[in-house]
Amino acid sequence: MLRIVLNKKPAFWALLCLPGLLMMRPFWSGDAIAMDMLHPTGEWSARFMIFAMILSPSLSLLGPKPWLAWLIQRRRALGVAAFGYAVLHLIFYIIDMGNMEDMLAEFLALGIWTGWAAMLLFVPLALTSNDASMRYLKAGWKKLQQLVYPSAVLVLVHWIFIHNNLGPALVHFIPLVLLVAARYFLPLKTRFKGV
Amino acid sequence: MRLPTILIAAAAATVALSAVPASATGVITCKAGPQSSWKGEKALTDKLTKEGWTVRKAKVDGGCYEVYGTTPEGDRVEAYFHPVTLEKLYVGRRGEVLFRKKGY
Repeated sequence: MLRIVLNKKPAFWALLCLPGLLMMRPFWSGDAIAMDMLHPTGEWSARFMIFAMILSPSLSLLGPKPWLAWLIQRRRALGVAAFGYAVLHLIFYIIDMGNMEDMLAEFLALGIWTGWAAMLLFVPLALTSNDASMRYLKAGWKKLQQLVYPSAVLVLVHWIFIHNNLGPALVHFIPLVLLVAARYFLPLKTRFKGV
Repeated sequence: MRLPTILIAAAAATVALSAVPASATGVITCKAGPQSSWKGEKALTDKLTKEGWTVRKAKVDGGCYEVYGTTPEGDRVEAYFHPVTLEKLYVGRRGEVLFRKKGY
């Protein structure tokens, strides 16, 4: 019974919303201001993006596993979650900055425009994360979704330069880079393409 | 390199990098002695408010007081102040230094 409920798509969506609900608590209670919300929203956006991106290299390396198949069926939801947290991140940024003038004043900083650019690339990815778009775009859908690679690079640069600190960004991105690299450079026992 | 090697390398890198303290952002460092000799954070924010600043948030970073807020001129900035003298050491926005005291 529990298994059936957990396998339903809404259960997975609820799971994806959970970090958001937890991080919003201090904001609603007034313990955190918009500025404090920038880090958790951005971090969870990057996490979900990376999570969605490591699934197919993992499949290439490990071969078919039931839990991987389960996750891959839900990969689009992970991507949409990354977008959702990125939107929250942007909303808090706008609240924090408060006006257009201040946002434009820092727009050209490396840590800022990379964030805007990543957000821009996320939009078509999220808008096409549905069955209808997949049917309509056919082979083009995969090509389009590969925009996630340049946006991941932008997210990484955004994170490093906004933080003035390499550590936290690299903790998240090193596993991704290693897995993607392994997929291309290692002789694999089982090579599954096209997922 | 085989898969286990990669996974071990990834795990090791993750642990090593997690150990890096994330506190100081490294913009400015003050060597201002023990905190007992510091002026209170409220003394600083009161002083700034009087001067026409809007303070959004103040905290300790790199042994200085770090303030996020708006200057009397209306710039949205991050600024550093000496915790004993409350002297202004650095004012900047992302990607641009607006003021930096000599020697800091």
